[in-house]
Amino acid sequence: MSHLIPSPFFWKVFPLLNNFCSLLIFLGLIPVSFAQDKKVPVETSIETNTQPNIDLLSQLPILASGDDELITEAITKLAKTGDTRLESFFELYRQGSVYNWPTEDGEIRIVVNLETVMDDDFNEFAPLLEPLTGKPFLVDGKQAKPDLLDLEDISPGRKLRSLVNSSKFLIRLFSPDYETRISGVKKCGDPPFMTEAMTSLQDISNDKEEEEKIRWTASESIALIGFGQKSEDFEGLTSRMDALEKLSLLNSLRALARIDGFEKDVEALENSEKINSKQSATLYKRISKVKKILESHKSSVELAGNLFRGLSYGSVLILIALGLAITFGLMGVINMAHGELVMIGAYATYEVQMYFGHSPENSVNEYYFFALPIAFIASAAVGLLMEKFVVRHLYNRPLESLLATWGVSLLLIQLVRLRYGDNIGVNAPTWARGGYEISQDVVLPFARLYLLALSAACVAFIYFIIRKTRKGMLIRATMQNRDMASSLGVRTRNVDRFTFALGSGIAGVAGYGWTIVGGVTPDMGTKLFIVDSFLVVVAGGVGELAGVLCSGLGIGVITKLIEPLEFGGFIIGPVWGKVILLALIVAFIQYKPAGLFAPKGRLGDKK
Amino acid sequence: MKKNKLKLAIVALLGLAFSIPQLHAVKIGVLHSLSGTMAISETSLKDVVMMAVKEINEAGGVLGEKVEAVVVDPASDWPLFAEKAKELITEEKVAVTFGCWTSVSRKSCLPVFEEENALLFYPVQYEGEEQSLNVFYTAASPNQQLVPAAKYMAEEMGCKKFYLLGTDYVFPRTANKVLKAYLKAQGVPDENVMEEYTPFHHQDYQTIVSKVKEFAASGDACILSTINGDSNVPFYKEFANQGLTSDDCPIMAFSVSEDELRAMDVPPLVGHLAAWNYFQSVKSPENAAFVKAFKKFCVESGLPGGAKRVTCDPIEAAYFGVYVWKAAVEKCGSFDVDKVRKAVYGLEFDAPGGKKSMHPTNQHTLKPVYIGEILKNGQFKIVYASDGLVSPDSYSSYLWPDGDFPKPTGGPNGDGSL
Repeated sequence: MSHLIPSPFFWKVFPLLNNFCSLLIFLGLIPVSFAQDKKVPVETSIETNTQPNIDLLSQLPILASGDDELITEAITKLAKTGDTRLESFFELYRQGSVYNWPTEDGEIRIVVNLETVMDDDFNEFAPLLEPLTGKPFLVDGKQAKPDLLDLEDISPGRKLRSLVNSSKFLIRLFSPDYETRISGVKKCGDPPFMTEAMTSLQDISNDKEEEEKIRWTASESIALIGFGQKSEDFEGLTSRMDALEKLSLLNSLRALARIDGFEKDVEALENSEKINSKQSATLYKRISKVKKILESHKSSVELAGNLFRGLSYGSVLILIALGLAITFGLMGVINMAHGELVMIGAYATYEVQMYFGHSPENSVNEYYFFALPIAFIASAAVGLLMEKFVVRHLYNRPLESLLATWGVSLLLIQLVRLRYGDNIGVNAPTWARGGYEISQDVVLPFARLYLLALSAACVAFIYFIIRKTRKGMLIRATMQNRDMASSLGVRTRNVDRFTFALGSGIAGVAGYGWTIVGGVTPDMGTKLFIVDSFLVVVAGGVGELAGVLCSGLGIGVITKLIEPLEFGGFIIGPVWGKVILLALIVAFIQYKPAGLFAPKGRLGDKK
Repeated sequence: MKKNKLKLAIVALLGLAFSIPQLHAVKIGVLHSLSGTMAISETSLKDVVMMAVKEINEAGGVLGEKVEAVVVDPASDWPLFAEKAKELITEEKVAVTFGCWTSVSRKSCLPVFEEENALLFYPVQYEGEEQSLNVFYTAASPNQQLVPAAKYMAEEMGCKKFYLLGTDYVFPRTANKVLKAYLKAQGVPDENVMEEYTPFHHQDYQTIVSKVKEFAASGDACILSTINGDSNVPFYKEFANQGLTSDDCPIMAFSVSEDELRAMDVPPLVGHLAAWNYFQSVKSPENAAFVKAFKKFCVESGLPGGAKRVTCDPIEAAYFGVYVWKAAVEKCGSFDVDKVRKAVYGLEFDAPGGKKSMHPTNQHTLKPVYIGEILKNGQFKIVYASDGLVSPDSYSSYLWPDGDFPKPTGGPNGDGSL
């Protein structure tokens, strides 16, 4: 059996892993095609909505009237039109970016100003935009840029602001964009419970051409509005109870979050003797039934969620420890600069992003594809240099190599800090936003799915190289018995070089993957990665790839199962979670000093 | 006799020759972490203090003396702050020190400043509950940031449930104490307030965000976030990745400014809020000039980020702190700590964000309160501004309802007396 992957366990796991990996890629692809489908039922709504255009423009000047009642009326009228252009207008109006720019005759002109520009004498000018279209506001064919002082501030007061905000969600019901539409549908069922949205919501929930998820959310929101009404007597409470039972059929977690409030209302009415104890008893009975259903749904959602989060955290741990499993596990170099190799990969990704000019506003998602090999090459190159100038002189001298590589890590941190400063942002590709809802309320974020897949692919890649290629055979031979391999003609120097670069390159890929979920700073390696990766490698058993796999996933899942636990108001949380985990590992190492997968036989004796 | 006279003349001449061209320089200390976890935030403060020093020197210095900044790096290592402060005061003999970000770093070096009776200008909003005669707090106390923000969330945004999320150290813990006392006074029931902490450098926010999601399912919850340092990036990323937006659960942050937003993916964050006493988007000619000057300084000094650098609340507070010290020195005509301290009390001055003044007794600064919403371009739209300057409380009236505050500490006699 080979030194690296001798355990029969790995042979069993690997095909499974392979399937899992392809499943993930499959899952990752589905939502992409979904998102494209969703934009279909669009055009009809736009056409019908553009018609009351004249009416729209006639309502806008009322906003500058200063009379709150008139403005309320106008906003309500506007919201009823369902014109999708009003969504952004309402948002701007609420924020106070909408102004009145009166003509010389005192005629009201409603305009939008987002940012001001200043000339060298610090006079401030406001480039204006059309309120509805967002295009430049033209006067004599040029964008109007009056002095800021000429604009009259018409931003709404507090009461109006909440009206404007809810009107914004009403408008969203008609949006052609899936995300916007569903957020509107959802928000209508939240406080202050927009009864005026009822008819539109009912239309949506009955619309057979609408997305399933949106129809479902619409019926949830309808029931929530019913459930959220105020009640003064038993009749009112009963109708709320009916809505609540409907919600329990939908497994609505949003309803569960409000049950306590409902119970309090029942209690209050009972105390003020508006309902009798018999009536309240029937209500309580029904409530507890609903509660049971919803609680059980919630706990299954939580369990599924925690397991996935554990897997995903584990996959990150594996990814960052994999490189170390080669340089430390296989070669025996205590490489304190491992975290910095991860960091180099992250900064290489940043460089590629800059080269492609990717930014959140102007997304060039291809950059992320090209960044993968470049991060690998960058870190591998740095690893190669490290091997040539530092590490190779220190093979078999673990203490010296510990200090020397730590010195290298400080050097790398400072070099990167001088070049980039402390505050840069890698903007994740836009497809990494959001997630895939695998079953109701269990959302798997795309970014996490991608990391799982990347991690699996890296393990597969290393496995392939070490087990299936000639180079891998030479690596195994050299690491098992250097003198024998050398006397049989293996150029062990070359093998060392290649192996170290391979481990470093994989560390770089970890840094590349990291940018999608975390931040990038020069000292990320020392602060975030080095301890965790040694933890994973040591707990897994030094020199065992399968050990890294199992301990990474194990640590991930255990952490995520411990973290949310609660004991009578005391939440374990991340702080105590980490303490408990470290205690567990200390106990485990006592029991199995060589880790999960200890090298056996003569190899074990050598260590 | 003649020889003696000649000797005397030579000595006198030599003395003159040495004394004339040697322009005196007054040393000031800069005590900000340039490495470690807080470097992401603190480096900019060092930069802006250097800019103020440069401006002052170009305008002729203070009392005719050039200002020489002595920069040390306490490396986000809290005990090292005390050591470096001692070094600045006793070895470099600085007249004043500008520095610290986290409260734990300030608490660590505070005994040094009190023991040596030296002066520290502290430019970051903090949890209050402190009043040392050796510190001038140029940023917000809780009633100038925390309380107005919680009030805004409750009254303007209609939030009924509050998730207090912070990094595990003294600022979030004390800030949340103040916030909880305030919310309780407003009649928010205990079960509607959640409190949770994460260690420094915490990166995996999956569990917490899923808890927030559950908490906010009722649609009327918000997060009051005191997360500090490099944990903010993974937190906001995870928040967006799990499909949450500011409509579902707005985040009101107390430690996220324009500068931190530079390192984030902004579009999914649009609509989240922050409470400060200054935003880069404050409209005034002075502020425009300040922003321009800062960018120019960053480009000319070859600082990373260059023209993309932005100003934010702590940057403004660090900047005007230097000018407050200068004005006080000029007012009393001396670099003596005790005289300068007295001159600072009640001082009125122009800051980039507008007119402000120092409190006549309690070491803090009178400032306006702003609440801003994050815009697509990484700037804030100011959605709330206080009516004029808000007077600072060194000790929160929510934690000391009887008004029986502890006495100040430090000072010339070491016992809090002047």
